[in-house]
Amino acid sequence: MSRVAGRTDWAEEEDEDSIQLPQQSITKNKDGTETIVTYSIREDGKKIKTTRRIKKTTVKTIVNPRVAERKHVPKFGQEKGKPLGPQTDTTSVAENIVFRPVANWKASADDKGEDAKKKASLKDAKIKCRICSGDHWTTKCPFKDTMAPEGGEPAEIKDEAPETGGLGAGGSSYVPPHLRGRGGAGEKMGGKFERDDLATLRVTNVSEFAEENDLRDMFSRFGHVTRVFLAKDRETGRAKGFAFVSYADRSDAAKACEKMDGYGFGHLILRVEFAKKSTT
Amino acid sequence: MRPILLSGHERALTQVKYNPDGDLIFSVSKDHVVCAWFSHNGERFGTYHGHQGALWTVDVDPHSKLLATGGADNTMRLWEVDTGKLLKTWEFGSSIKRVEFSPDGTQLLGVTEKRAGHLSTIVVYEINPDPAAEQTSEQSLRIVCDESKATVAGFSYLARYIIAGHEDGSVSQYDAKDGELIYNVRAHDADLQVTDLQWAPDRTYCITSSKDKTAKIIDAGTLEVLKTYVTDTPLNSAAITPIKDYVILGGGQAAMDVTTTSARQGKFEARFYHKIFQEEIGRVRGHFGPLNYVAVHPQGTGYCSGGEDGYVRVHHFDKAYFDFLYEVEREQAQANL
Repeated sequence: MSRVAGRTDWAEEEDEDSIQLPQQSITKNKDGTETIVTYSIREDGKKIKTTRRIKKTTVKTIVNPRVAERKHVPKFGQEKGKPLGPQTDTTSVAENIVFRPVANWKASADDKGEDAKKKASLKDAKIKCRICSGDHWTTKCPFKDTMAPEGGEPAEIKDEAPETGGLGAGGSSYVPPHLRGRGGAGEKMGGKFERDDLATLRVTNVSEFAEENDLRDMFSRFGHVTRVFLAKDRETGRAKGFAFVSYADRSDAAKACEKMDGYGFGHLILRVEFAKKSTT
Repeated sequence: MRPILLSGHERALTQVKYNPDGDLIFSVSKDHVVCAWFSHNGERFGTYHGHQGALWTVDVDPHSKLLATGGADNTMRLWEVDTGKLLKTWEFGSSIKRVEFSPDGTQLLGVTEKRAGHLSTIVVYEINPDPAAEQTSEQSLRIVCDESKATVAGFSYLARYIIAGHEDGSVSQYDAKDGELIYNVRAHDADLQVTDLQWAPDRTYCITSSKDKTAKIIDAGTLEVLKTYVTDTPLNSAAITPIKDYVILGGGQAAMDVTTTSARQGKFEARFYHKIFQEEIGRVRGHFGPLNYVAVHPQGTGYCSGGEDGYVRVHHFDKAYFDFLYEVEREQAQANL
């Protein structure tokens, strides 16, 4: 055993520690308070001196003797035999409620609600000026007349200005209808169909028990499928026998068209072709 | 203000009451059990078992020795407060909607419901304040309300009158000696029942609440409407606070509509109005169902509310409550100094 000489027992070891610590001292101050100084050793072995100043007051409340008496009446009913003090199953403390009566409560409550909301939303939002990145609104920027918004190059705006026929120098994203799409074909109604038609396959002779997911599984082998539409009977909920499958890429669609045409699905043979442009 | 939540009941609370010493709270709910609580810490003192139906009402005598309850099992019962012992059962043909002791504790009134074959009545029994004594089964007074059924009733100062609130919104005054109808006043809107009637500490005036969304202070002697408090929700209860000149109103969306409204829309808050200026001064939220009853500590240091949600919330007022004064009140206090 590797014991240090003099230390024979763990109990003695303890004793030695406490002997090293000064006794706690209590001094009575003139103003009626007490100062208590205690010493202790922290877990990491450092000595701590704690000084506490305490004022003792005796609070006397006079209660009705009947009330005092009732406190010692044994409990009865469901509470019979239960110890003194509130039971956790029947009594709990709710969250704190601030109740502060105010004159003209209604008006103040309404105002406060609005104000608080506005303030809260302002607090959350980080204000950043688009011109100088300062913490104020762009419209209130001191440089708004002399500097362009951050990111936009002034030169570019210059180029653009004559072309767009007096488009605001502020780089507004609004373009009047008659100026839109210059140089290309005009924007068409139902642009959605066009996009779809480029890489959309029409699948016919689909089993009436087919599900959209079955089709999606089969067709996603050839590429990223963006949309599967399986025509269903409104009343019976069964497939009507045709479907549309859209791909993100037209080459995938072409590959799928080639491979899947004549593929056996269910008890039928699928017919796959590129969807024709809608007649409208 | 940190409310104490009392969750001893399994169903909606119907009435809560402080005893005159203010150290006990009695609560009754639709779950057939009466609970007694210490008001200062929310500790349950005991429970009273025996009723076979939903309980509508409870009252405690001025000495905190006897407890009266009434419920849907067509009985009115008398209990010993300290032990939970059942002392007396009175049986009726219909349920008991309200019980109340007279200010001196020697009389007990009960309001019976109107039902097929039974008219609504207000009955009065002489009570022996000694818990050990035998109680009489003989009614000392029986008032039949044939015009509109009585929903609430109480004894005025010195047990001189019985003031009753009716289903049709009227309030009537009966002589407490012979049961003669003295006045009948249409205090609230027609066909919207008076839901509660509570007394000022000296019982010279009372406050009534009604489904017509108002509460009114009514003089006990003349039945004159002294003050009116207008709210935006049907009221179930109203109480007058001692010390400070406030009234507390409780109510909210009807219980059957509760599931279709959120807690905020339902207006399940205790509303504080200034008694004199008839102006709202604040609200205390917390319940998630309508408040069925509010009761004020007799010394004015707190209040408790029982809700349709099955909880009693006991509140001890903060300093702000006692400090609040209107500008004119403050000026007057200054002038008097």
